Amino acid sequence: MSLSLKAKVSSNEPVGPEIYLLSLEAPAIADAARPGQFVMLRVSPGPEPLLARPFSIHGADGGKLLILYQVKGKGTKLLTQACPGSELLTWGPLGRGFDLTAERPLLVAGGMGVAPIAFAIEYLCNKFDEVRLLCGVAGTVRHEALIKLFAGRLGSARVKIRYSSEDGSIGRKGLVTDLLKEHFSTSQPLKPDTVLACGPLPMLKAVALLCAEFEVACQTSLEAPMACGVGACLGCAIPAAGGGYLRACQEGPVMEASLVDWEKI
Amino acid sequence: MSPATDMAVTVGGVRLANPVLAASGTFGYGREYSPYLEPGAIGGLVTKGVSLQPRAGNPPPRIVETACGMLNAIGLANVGLDEFLAHKLPWLTEQPGAVVVNLYGESVGEFAELAQRLGAQPGVDALELNVSCPNVKEGGMAFGCHPGAVGEVTAAAVAGAQGKPVWVKLTPNVSDPAPMALAAAQAGAQAVSLINTLLAMAIDAGTRRPKLANVVGGLSGPAIKPVGLRMVWQVASALKAEHPTVDVVGLGGIMSGIDAAEYLIAGAKAVQVGTASFTDPAAAGRIAAELAAYCTEQGVSAAELSGSLRV
Repeated sequence: MSLSLKAKVSSNEPVGPEIYLLSLEAPAIADAARPGQFVMLRVSPGPEPLLARPFSIHGADGGKLLILYQVKGKGTKLLTQACPGSELLTWGPLGRGFDLTAERPLLVAGGMGVAPIAFAIEYLCNKFDEVRLLCGVAGTVRHEALIKLFAGRLGSARVKIRYSSEDGSIGRKGLVTDLLKEHFSTSQPLKPDTVLACGPLPMLKAVALLCAEFEVACQTSLEAPMACGVGACLGCAIPAAGGGYLRACQEGPVMEASLVDWEKI
Repeated sequence: MSPATDMAVTVGGVRLANPVLAASGTFGYGREYSPYLEPGAIGGLVTKGVSLQPRAGNPPPRIVETACGMLNAIGLANVGLDEFLAHKLPWLTEQPGAVVVNLYGESVGEFAELAQRLGAQPGVDALELNVSCPNVKEGGMAFGCHPGAVGEVTAAAVAGAQGKPVWVKLTPNVSDPAPMALAAAQAGAQAVSLINTLLAMAIDAGTRRPKLANVVGGLSGPAIKPVGLRMVWQVASALKAEHPTVDVVGLGGIMSGIDAAEYLIAGAKAVQVGTASFTDPAAAGRIAAELAAYCTEQGVSAAELSGSLRV
């Protein structure tokens, strides 16, 4: 059940250049949240900026809702100023999350795409002795915070992380899809049965194509400009494979890659 | 003044427990907002515009935020009449509050057919004709910019509606909305609702591309409230002189109970809350409560507040 409430900010700290970790006291939302779902956050109560912003849920811990965000525009810039004790109008949890019933899931994250993937990893660690993550970053300088975060929050011995970096400063030089292709080619007969992916759109598109080529199911977490988050405004239209559109907020944000028209998106 | 201020109004042939309705296109088919509003918190809702056939809508991006507002070019995406009747209306009918169905046709004949089939539904309290959508190629605003066309569409819908009240939603994209309102009234409409969105655009200077795939879209939100107030006042004044039994439903940028009160003062009998529901899913209920608190404080009923502008 989704609900709307004024959530008190517990902490809102920079964890790296332009990257913040926000913790909100929202037990009713945190308890109901599932990996891949999102919340709408109103960064200012006034008319400017007018609309709430969608944020993927990074974690839910003891009644706290964790949001990992990058400063991108005026909304996220304002959000960095939210002090502990202040209240933010929040509604959720919203949308369809990841289907975590796969037998051999493989997680793929690109940059900030790790925000919801981390939540999925926590769930999967309760189920499997080993959880595999392929993680693409720009490099150790640009994404040091994310790498540290993996070491911290995802530091369980159960999480096996392989990195790719665009500048070669960590892991394999190149894109995360290079890692994925290699993984598919070398992991027989224990090839993953499902890929769970979040990251920039070009990455998701490449991941979806690779998964189709290797006949592996693929769930992609998508984003789109969104006003209401509850399925009413119809703003967050994602072109559907069969024609027409799907709503990122209702039929997504996590969608089977086969349902999406990757040419039109 | 008793503590329980009388907030009930009769507007456009429909009795409402309070004068706040949720506006078409911003409240889905009602159920989307059920987790966030107490049952009976608002007077009712106006559904997303329904057309005879389902419509996929425009390509994305469909929305963009602007200063104190937003643009949309959804393109009247909707499930179509059959799906609406089978799966949306039954739930709505069970809820407290009035159900006003917004409908959209590409021809006069389509408006008549929609009015006939929707008018026959016991759970429908009134019909609202969308002759003011700026985001579709056929019909839409084209019908709403000429008094003759407004009159023709209204008359066809009234004839089909089997006595169900017909409201006409007017566009602000005209130099003077009063002739459209008078034409609707002359043709048998029991209320006019205004304003729909203002035709507008946004440009990304970095890429020199329009921010909406449709290039242009409709501006809504607090930025348009002064325009809405002006037009409601103009139309209410014109109707009072020539068709005093025809009501005005005011909308455009209502974010608070005070905003709603301003529309009533300008001459509206009821109001619709639109974009505010995007910024807070409980907004419509909050605004109804704030309006009631204002009326109590002022010692007036909602009906008394309507048209009480001191000029």
